[in-house]
Amino acid sequence: MVNKWSAALANKPTVLYEKSLRSGQNINFDGNVVILGDVNPGAEIVAGGHILVMGSLRGLVHAGALGDEDATVTALHFAPTQLRIASHITRPPDGNVDEGAKPPEYARIQNDTVVIEEYQPPR
Amino acid sequence: MGKVIVVTSGKGGVGKTTTTANVGTALAMLGKKIVMVDTDIGLRNLDVVLGLENRIVYDLVDAVRGNCRLKQALIKDKRLENLYLLPAAQTKDKTSVTTDQMMELCSKLKEEFDFVVIDCPAGIEHGFKNAIAGAEEAVVVTTPEVSAVRDADRIIGLLEAAGITEPRLIINRIRTNMVKTGDMMGVDDILDILAVDLLGIVPDDDAIVISTNKGEPTVFDDNSRPGLAFRNIARRLNGDEVPLMNLEEKRSFFSRMKAMFKSE
Repeated sequence: MVNKWSAALANKPTVLYEKSLRSGQNINFDGNVVILGDVNPGAEIVAGGHILVMGSLRGLVHAGALGDEDATVTALHFAPTQLRIASHITRPPDGNVDEGAKPPEYARIQNDTVVIEEYQPPR
Repeated sequence: MGKVIVVTSGKGGVGKTTTTANVGTALAMLGKKIVMVDTDIGLRNLDVVLGLENRIVYDLVDAVRGNCRLKQALIKDKRLENLYLLPAAQTKDKTSVTTDQMMELCSKLKEEFDFVVIDCPAGIEHGFKNAIAGAEEAVVVTTPEVSAVRDADRIIGLLEAAGITEPRLIINRIRTNMVKTGDMMGVDDILDILAVDLLGIVPDDDAIVISTNKGEPTVFDDNSRPGLAFRNIARRLNGDEVPLMNLEEKRSFFSRMKAMFKSE
């Protein structure tokens, strides 16, 4: 599966946060957000565009918060408390504990549902 | 010039006061001049854990407001010459001390003492801000519970925002058996989330309950496992390299005998 990036979103401004986001800390930005660190449980990112976490994603993220359904969420370790893209809200199934090491994953909307799959670089 | 260290956690009941009492006492046992400051105004406990409750005349609020001289409010420990306590006020309001007053107090105390150990109240409001105002270093206490780790994470973020960038972590009340069976978070699980330096691990032990109720810090007891853990932590704070203690349950006399015969 090849993922596709929306050109409109790619042209939006992007913030780079060079630390981990801890519980109670949050980022609100109407473009894309890149985190060089972890997003811990209790932390929150709300972005108008894509969200990319170069670490463990364990907190709450909302990509495409202004309604853009092309927005995606990517993380090296994908285990969010809750995942929102545009007007879709998902959470991991109950009783599903963080299982440890796995490949990077990304989430997007496909046929009106949020799909999470292994990350492949766009071609 | 001494160091001001705040002991904090966010969540209540994880062992801030116990840690302050034991680490402060253990530092004093190393020959350092120590003052412990209880900043939990209205809910003071540190004096009780140290068994010094009946000696309080003046308190922290009196000292910062000038109702007494700072020296008068300091209570000397009944066991160690070089250990002092500045107790919290019990009948006054949390807002009766400002962050500026706390900073001034800390800078006065560190002229006199090698270590100023501040016991922080639970929460992240006024009392927390006061407690960290004059501190240069922080020790974050957590237990292997998801809620405590979450709060510790929040506290570390707040400490960083306040300029205390390298807090160190104490993991309290570890139960090795439960970690082994996967029923309790392990040290690695906690460090994975919090990503800070580990200052020490303290095993869960009945000795703590007994020592707290008696008003006698467990570091005085040579046979106490948490006592050893706290003494190690004090040495690390003092700049020594001490390996982490082995958390394996102590084996009974009988099983040790059996093992001995087997090896022969």
